[in-house]
Amino acid sequence: MKVTLNWLKQYVDFEWSPEVLSERLTMLGIEVEGVRKIGGEFEGIVVAQVVSRDKHPNADKLSLCRVNEGKGERQIVCGAQNFKAGDKVALILPGASLPPKPGSEPFTIKVGKIRGVESQGMMCSPQELGLPDQVDGLLILREDARIGQPFAEYLGRSGTDVVYDLEITPNRPDLNSLIGIAREIAAITGTPLRLPDVTRATPQAPGSKDHGPASTHSVSDLVSVHLEDPELCPRYTARIITGVKIAPSPGWLSGTLEKVGIRSINNVVDATNYVMLETGQPLHAFDFHRLNAAPGQSCPSIVVRRAAEGETFRTLDGQERKLSNSALLIADETKSVALAGVMGGQNSEINLSTVDVLIESAYFNPQNIRATSKKLELRTESSYRFERGVDIGICDWASRRAAHLILETGGGVLADGAIDAYPSPTEPKQIALRHQKVKDLLGIDLQPEQIDGYLSQLELKVVGRKPRPVGAESSLPEPTTFRIPTFRVNLKREVDLIEEVARLYGVDRIPATPPRGAIGSNPFDSVHDQYAEARRILSGLGLFEAQGQTLISEAAARLVSGDNVVALANPLSSDMNVLRPSLLPGLLDSLRNNVSRKVYDVALFELGRVFNRPAGQGTSVAAAQPAACASGGATGEERRLGVALTGPRAPVFWSGGERDAKFDSYDLKGILEEFLEQFGLRGITYSRRPESSALFLESATIHLGKFQLGELGQLSPALARQYDLRDAAVVAELNLDMLMARRNSSKSFRPLAAFPPIRRDVAMVLPEATTHEAVLQVVKQAKPANLESVELFDVFRGKSVAAGQKSMAYGFTYRSAERTLTDTEVNAAHEKVVEQLKQKVQAVIRE
Amino acid sequence: MAGFLDEVAPLKATALAEFQAAADLPGLEQARVNSLGSHGRFTALMKQLGTLPKDEKPAAGKTINAAKLELEAALAARRVELELKAALPKEPTDFTLPGRRRLLGKLHPLTQITEDIVRSFRKIGFVVADGPEVEDEYHCFDALNTPADHPARDAQDTFYLAGPGGARQSSSLLRTHTSSVQIRVMKKQSPPVRIIVPGRVYRRDNADATHNPTFHQVEGLYVDRNVTVGDLKGTVEFVFKELMGPETRIRFRPHYFSYTEPSFEIDFSSALTRKMGKEWLEIAGCGMVHPQVFENVGYDPETWSGWAFGFGIERIAMIRYGINDIRLFYENDLRFLRQF
Repeated sequence: MKVTLNWLKQYVDFEWSPEVLSERLTMLGIEVEGVRKIGGEFEGIVVAQVVSRDKHPNADKLSLCRVNEGKGERQIVCGAQNFKAGDKVALILPGASLPPKPGSEPFTIKVGKIRGVESQGMMCSPQELGLPDQVDGLLILREDARIGQPFAEYLGRSGTDVVYDLEITPNRPDLNSLIGIAREIAAITGTPLRLPDVTRATPQAPGSKDHGPASTHSVSDLVSVHLEDPELCPRYTARIITGVKIAPSPGWLSGTLEKVGIRSINNVVDATNYVMLETGQPLHAFDFHRLNAAPGQSCPSIVVRRAAEGETFRTLDGQERKLSNSALLIADETKSVALAGVMGGQNSEINLSTVDVLIESAYFNPQNIRATSKKLELRTESSYRFERGVDIGICDWASRRAAHLILETGGGVLADGAIDAYPSPTEPKQIALRHQKVKDLLGIDLQPEQIDGYLSQLELKVVGRKPRPVGAESSLPEPTTFRIPTFRVNLKREVDLIEEVARLYGVDRIPATPPRGAIGSNPFDSVHDQYAEARRILSGLGLFEAQGQTLISEAAARLVSGDNVVALANPLSSDMNVLRPSLLPGLLDSLRNNVSRKVYDVALFELGRVFNRPAGQGTSVAAAQPAACASGGATGEERRLGVALTGPRAPVFWSGGERDAKFDSYDLKGILEEFLEQFGLRGITYSRRPESSALFLESATIHLGKFQLGELGQLSPALARQYDLRDAAVVAELNLDMLMARRNSSKSFRPLAAFPPIRRDVAMVLPEATTHEAVLQVVKQAKPANLESVELFDVFRGKSVAAGQKSMAYGFTYRSAERTLTDTEVNAAHEKVVEQLKQKVQAVIRE
Repeated sequence: MAGFLDEVAPLKATALAEFQAAADLPGLEQARVNSLGSHGRFTALMKQLGTLPKDEKPAAGKTINAAKLELEAALAARRVELELKAALPKEPTDFTLPGRRRLLGKLHPLTQITEDIVRSFRKIGFVVADGPEVEDEYHCFDALNTPADHPARDAQDTFYLAGPGGARQSSSLLRTHTSSVQIRVMKKQSPPVRIIVPGRVYRRDNADATHNPTFHQVEGLYVDRNVTVGDLKGTVEFVFKELMGPETRIRFRPHYFSYTEPSFEIDFSSALTRKMGKEWLEIAGCGMVHPQVFENVGYDPETWSGWAFGFGIERIAMIRYGINDIRLFYENDLRFLRQF
């Protein structure tokens, strides 16, 4: 909504500077999105008359002139040839600037010498003034131009103004009008609101003067109105002016509209637009003679009806619109003439041959207008206002105001009276306010008189006051009942009135009170801490935290998920048409983002939610989740941890054999092992998948007892290529909800070992298929006495080891908590283990 | 006798000189053997001690012992010197060379900001709450008093999930704000309530420098007896001073949200906003919980009052760090992540 400072001042007096107005509106809840000063152009340029023109003493092509600029004569050197003494011209005075050309600095005129002769200003060409006139030389002004008059005034662009672009919140349709804004200003300044004159359109006492020729017609002789659907159109008013001369609008009218961005059309259309901006009530003017009467009838009838399903209508923008039964039309007996509340029709618009005008001022159901406007993708100033809800009480006044302006700008005769089809007039709402509640909610102590005063300034009328019982405490309820003006559609209950009090009192004046009160509680609170803990561990392990898009492409989702992907019904694009079923596609995108920008060493993790349509309900996990995120919905939400590594394992170093090493599956596994242990998960096992998959070249699932926690492995080379990766990538994903449910983060102290350990190393050759886990299993079953730990410290193949075999070297540490062990007893225990290894996994011990 | 003791001083001097002259540990060992070894010169001198008359022995013994102790001390000192010399690498360490770095990962800037916000709220008794991101219209709109034909519900602005066959599944949507969690929490627990809700939200905006279909919000909700606008202002001021620095100023402007009444927008002003050329910068929306919302969740608005506020985490991060493109948060470019 655009308003101007000067326009507002027509309705209310205030002495604020443009900046203060901006501030006050903002603090009332009317956000000022833009402020533009207009006018002020051509400053320092005046109408002047050439008194004499002589040749310049030192230059043939220049002339030396005396010029009268109203306050005196000046000497001007000029190069133009198209003028003579007596001509009136635009003179720019020293210190003033020419209007800047786009993209360049304004040019400022100084007193200076031209070929040795002083020039005290410059006479201007239209090009220099930025005017379109095609003249070679100076702009010669009309003879009646007043000497000394500011040039802007001569052009009719006089006066500066300030245009404000205001953001009106949807609950305040009454503010989509100049009068609405002015009313707010009046309320805080306490000055009265000044409504414009509508007397010319008001019934007159017989014989009164100055109100145009008396009409010989009553409007009801000329037209009738029939509302077929009063729910969609509860009120419709019509006035008729005959004998109007359609012409361009006077400067003040077209100028005012143009300042707020509305194109001037002609006096009648401009008058309706002006009144719409002034009152917030959209109006429509019809060419009365284009309205047809039914056969056999003398006067036309306006019918407000629903469109027939599939009915077409040509709106005045020339578009043929196909309508459904929900659209509301204004029609006569033979055709439709306007799409109600949205746009008029070509067949009845005001044109140069129009002489009689019918003014429509009606109220249309907001939801219906919104639906029609949306369906047709046709938004107009009118539909915008109707769909937000206009003031049903103002229809007639706005109609009179428009009639008044049309009579003023186009002449004509107003038919007597008005049609006002308003079958069930809206009763103004009444709302009771308990003054104590103002204090309860705002925390400020206001006198009841003050509160009522604020509300009266907003035109809320006190209609009832429950008398306070004699001797009662003031805290007893003693509500005041207010009648709510029809333009305040947002005031529905007591709290809405309290908000008005807060606005007028000034939110900035309400004192802030320090935080106080109850301690909160929510089961998620500890989950948040667990998240933080997981992040702390992972970043300590050298991983950077990533945040991926929730919305990804279905193709990417298919890489990691089957048919349970959750799709959007209204995606923005096919790149973002499903909810991520896994964090991995996002992490792969992030790897690509880095690698494509030549950042090759990337180690990322992400904690986030994934979404799946549950295939079979009730997996064993769901019940165990702490504060499970999905409650009720058909979509499963699960928190996950994803990790992705690619490129060099360590920052660049300038020496050492391992310096070029790239991340591999063991790096990833090491990170997961450390993370899981630090997070409180022990007894994790890894189970290799026998086959490659679309996602993984090699992978393993991660288990805790019977629960599968996730998967890790090396990305398939085809995918790595697809994601433009340079080096191999290793990725993992774990179910974080399950990790949180299964973790044991309790800690207890174990005494530090007091006795020395004894270590025995054993190297053995094993078949390739024998896993480390199988070896550990044998050791565990052998239950050697006093075994403290087993550590694998070497694996190698080749050289002396036969093909299909590998050598594994383990260190066994024995220690007792009670005493120093002897070699003899350690040897006995150790040999038992070695024997078991030989038997159970065919270990051949290397000497 | 005199001749015998006269040899002590020169022998000692020679030995000390040899110790000092030794260039390395083997050289020092040779020098030790020469004087203090079992066939060494000084050892030989000590052996002569036994040939002296009994009354001369104590004095001579004392002289020789003192010299021997002195030699042994000098030997030990020289050994420490030479050991240190031997330990030095062939080439001296260049301490200007880059070290072998061990990388510490970093938390995403959005996480860091969220943690700062959560920390400030926890100081004043708030706990963190959470809810699903796939919501229904009831929790996201209806219960929050959003009119049935409000534009926010449009398929233009809100993502709806596809049901079987790809058609819109009318009730399942991606939450457009964390305010839906207000409803879930209030429906589940009785007042008082004091929660803060950080989380992902979704709006159907094409990605550009200031929009991403996914972004993060934080919601705060406080419900108790006698909660006022003054309390709301006090808490907001506390939190934003914690977040944006103690010199931060806060301004409340009346505004409109369907689920609060009165409603306000919050502007803040600090060195940061002035650096951006603005005195005030919009940062959050807030208000007193609408009585209709209380009625929807079964709280009596005559007994309970409360406030809620919410703001975008990306916006805070962008202002605080001077980040000019929201998409950077979701690209995870390490050159970006390393900076925070």
